[in-house]
Amino acid sequence: MTQRTDPVARIEGVTKSFGKTIALHQMNLQIASGEFVTFLGPSGCGKSTTLRILGGFETPDTGRIILNGQDVTALPPNRRKVNMVFQDYALFPHMTTRRNIAFGLELKGLSRRAIDARIDELAAFLQLADYLDRRPDQLSGGQRQRVALARALAPDPEMLLLDEPLGALDAKLRTQVQIELKNIQRRTNKAFFFVTHDQEEALTMSDRIVVMNQGRIEQDGTPEELYFRPASRFVAEFIGETNLLEATFRGIEGDAAVIDWLGNPLRCNPAGQGFAPGAAVTASVRPERIAVSADRPATENAVEARIVTSIFKGSRYLLELAVNGTRVSAYADSPVAADQGASVWLGWSRSSISLIGD
Amino acid sequence: MTRHTRILMSCIYWAFALYLLLPLALMMLMGFKDARFIGFPITSWTLDWYIGVFADRQVMFTFGYSTLIAILSTAIALVVGTWIAVTLTGRAFFGRAVILGLTLLPAVIPGVISAIAFRIYARVLGIEPGMWAIIWSHAVHNVPFVVLVVMARLSTLPRSQAEAARDLGADPLVVFFRITMPYLTPAMIGAGVFCMLLSFDDFVRSYFLGGYDPTLPVLIFAKLRSGMSPEVNAISTVVLVLTAVLGIWAERSMRRIKKQANR
Amino acid sequence: MPDLPPQSPADPSGPPTFWGRLTAWSLYRALTGLVFASPRRQFWMLILFPVIWVLVAHLGPILQMMQVSFLSSYPPSAGKEVVLTTANYSRFFGDSIFLVPFWRTMVFSVVLTLTTLVLMYPVAYFLARHVRRDNQLLFLMLLLIPFWVGEIVRIYAVMIILGNNGALNLLLRWLGLIERPIPFMYTNFSLSVGIVYLTALYMLMPLYSALEKIPANYSEAAADLGAGPWTRFFRVTLPLSLEGVGAGCTLVFLIATGMYATPVLLGGPNTTLFSQTIAGFFHVAGDQWPTGAAFSTIMLVTALVVAGAFNRIIALLSGRVAK
Repeated sequence: MTQRTDPVARIEGVTKSFGKTIALHQMNLQIASGEFVTFLGPSGCGKSTTLRILGGFETPDTGRIILNGQDVTALPPNRRKVNMVFQDYALFPHMTTRRNIAFGLELKGLSRRAIDARIDELAAFLQLADYLDRRPDQLSGGQRQRVALARALAPDPEMLLLDEPLGALDAKLRTQVQIELKNIQRRTNKAFFFVTHDQEEALTMSDRIVVMNQGRIEQDGTPEELYFRPASRFVAEFIGETNLLEATFRGIEGDAAVIDWLGNPLRCNPAGQGFAPGAAVTASVRPERIAVSADRPATENAVEARIVTSIFKGSRYLLELAVNGTRVSAYADSPVAADQGASVWLGWSRSSISLIGD
Repeated sequence: MTRHTRILMSCIYWAFALYLLLPLALMMLMGFKDARFIGFPITSWTLDWYIGVFADRQVMFTFGYSTLIAILSTAIALVVGTWIAVTLTGRAFFGRAVILGLTLLPAVIPGVISAIAFRIYARVLGIEPGMWAIIWSHAVHNVPFVVLVVMARLSTLPRSQAEAARDLGADPLVVFFRITMPYLTPAMIGAGVFCMLLSFDDFVRSYFLGGYDPTLPVLIFAKLRSGMSPEVNAISTVVLVLTAVLGIWAERSMRRIKKQANR
Repeated sequence: MPDLPPQSPADPSGPPTFWGRLTAWSLYRALTGLVFASPRRQFWMLILFPVIWVLVAHLGPILQMMQVSFLSSYPPSAGKEVVLTTANYSRFFGDSIFLVPFWRTMVFSVVLTLTTLVLMYPVAYFLARHVRRDNQLLFLMLLLIPFWVGEIVRIYAVMIILGNNGALNLLLRWLGLIERPIPFMYTNFSLSVGIVYLTALYMLMPLYSALEKIPANYSEAAADLGAGPWTRFFRVTLPLSLEGVGAGCTLVFLIATGMYATPVLLGGPNTTLFSQTIAGFFHVAGDQWPTGAAFSTIMLVTALVVAGAFNRIIALLSGRVAK
């Protein structure tokens, strides 16, 4: 598993603007060694800028970048011990796989024998032995991606930066490569800094996800934390599907917080931030956490609803429901409860609700 | 378009091609005429004029001289032009348009005027008319073509290529020689051959800036003024064949390399 | 799959490769360290050379020529005082010996530019529209090859055709149209044929690349809306190719004004062009240079103004079309 020791990289108070647009706003972040960190967000949120600042391709307006205890803010990319896998892989078209991988090693001052030995290691590690003498144009998308990875790993960087490297692959290959990439990261035991706009990709691979929006960090946590305890409306909507319930805070009753949603009292875990009674709150409930039944369930929270539509999704049914005219979606395993217009009960536990202050 | 206009246009094309090619073909033919004066009809044939070209030491020397000038001026134009193209591509800075405009200006300055301007300037700087003066004027004239061709090619090089090389430890100089240059090779071959042809064929600059040794076009010009003879035809034909072969070779190799690099 | 061990930094097994040695070399490090110290310094180092080149190698001669045009004598000779004067310019306006070749050159260049345009447009149109894309290069090469051959050789080829014993006279006599050869050479006719022969490609290439860029379906769309072939041409194709027309005309005009060998070899005493007038000042005694420089300046300015005005008109026309 990942060990969390001293940070490999520290971003301290970094701000970056291009003309009038502010790409990054007072960003602070630490990355531990051996960690798979994903930067997730819509395009233009500043995630790629962060990556490029770490790589040395952009200079921050203010703030510092510390790599392994050394301030590298002013160093150009060729003098930083981090390597990058580019979105288009940027393999050198006039060089074979072998020459591509050797590029960084030659500039490190290694001998021909040492370079060949290292290439063999990487070829065995990433199963590239058969493609070493091919040019990039003779390789498939997946093979190119592995060559780019081998080239970036060859000089033994302290951290690897990956800029949406799976974007060019087709959907089927992508899932397979996601798992492979996670395995590779685990066995190199290096910090991977991965940028994507694909939330599913982020959830699959990451130890930690940093969600960004408009140059700021929205939330920073494990995939589970982000999924079940989104810190903001943006995070809740961006990651997975969710039902956002507009409710009013009532108060604390015993060990539970009670909110009022369309006249239904809902009990949930008290959030860190204290709400005043009567404050407007948003509650996020994931559709798959909602149990649909014909009779009133025994769960803490139960609400009566009417089925609007039912859509067959293969493994289960997606139900569109209406609670007093407000739309809610949920999943059901069997079509039994899925008659249109039928009245059903929805139930969920208190831990399935997370409260978001507006 | 109607069928008639299409036929008409194809006729115009072929008439034009004929207009371009026929005089050259006749000129080549005339080199085989076994008589001293030029004119039709040709009654008897000989190879003597062509053999004479290769036996004539002055012609052969001049040929070498012109070639040397072409090679050296092209080398200078390639270095300068590539440098300027690299400087101007992918950067926005104050005065960029001015520099680009001034760089391209020599391509459109009327030939005589640029030749005369160089003649005066060389005198002011104390450069004797001769090889180096010619080389310099040819280089200045050819830089715009190199800049245009190289800039066009450079604009298709993804930014990530240089960034990837930087990332792997290359400084900007290594990036240029290991990434940018190989990518530019087809463009540089094409521009280089074009420059060589321009230099080799140039008359007006070589004429005004030349010393005692004439370049090949100046030699042909001098021979023409003293009268047409099949000897001139033979020299011209040799020049024509060489330039055509060089041009076609460059066109083909440029395409091949480009295809390879873009695959 | 084996695990990836970290690469060992110390490497005793041999010398570095070429690029490793080069970048580790102390002199190289010192120099690159100096030049690439910051992106700003890097930029200044990069821009320095082009600026010097433009100023010294190329703008220098033109400015020097302009300066000499205001001197009373050049090259300097002993016993003569050099003063600033505009006499060299007033010489031009005072003598029809100079004015006639000047106007002849301008009129000739404009007329021939338009002639070349009219002749080359159908050729470019044919190449871009009616030749299959794979064959276009072949058709183009056929026209390109003659242009790789130099100015002098091509002029000579024209002389062979047009001479009294040339191919054209031979053909006409053989057809029985004439009895005595027509003296084509050393006339406006031979000069025009020569200039068109030499400049046609500079018109063809810009026209071709402009026409080639226009998608064929524009014309089809216009036809669909009921436009006839002529309407289609004047309302769609021609306006869209104006950029090529402008570039081609500028090139041909400027090349035609700057021709020297062509009027010398193909023209006669009644076709003297201004370039010959200018060159004359450099053949004779040295103190004529300032006059030659002044005349060159006049011609350069006029040529650039005409070309600029022409481009402006083209820009206005295509601007109006765009609206």
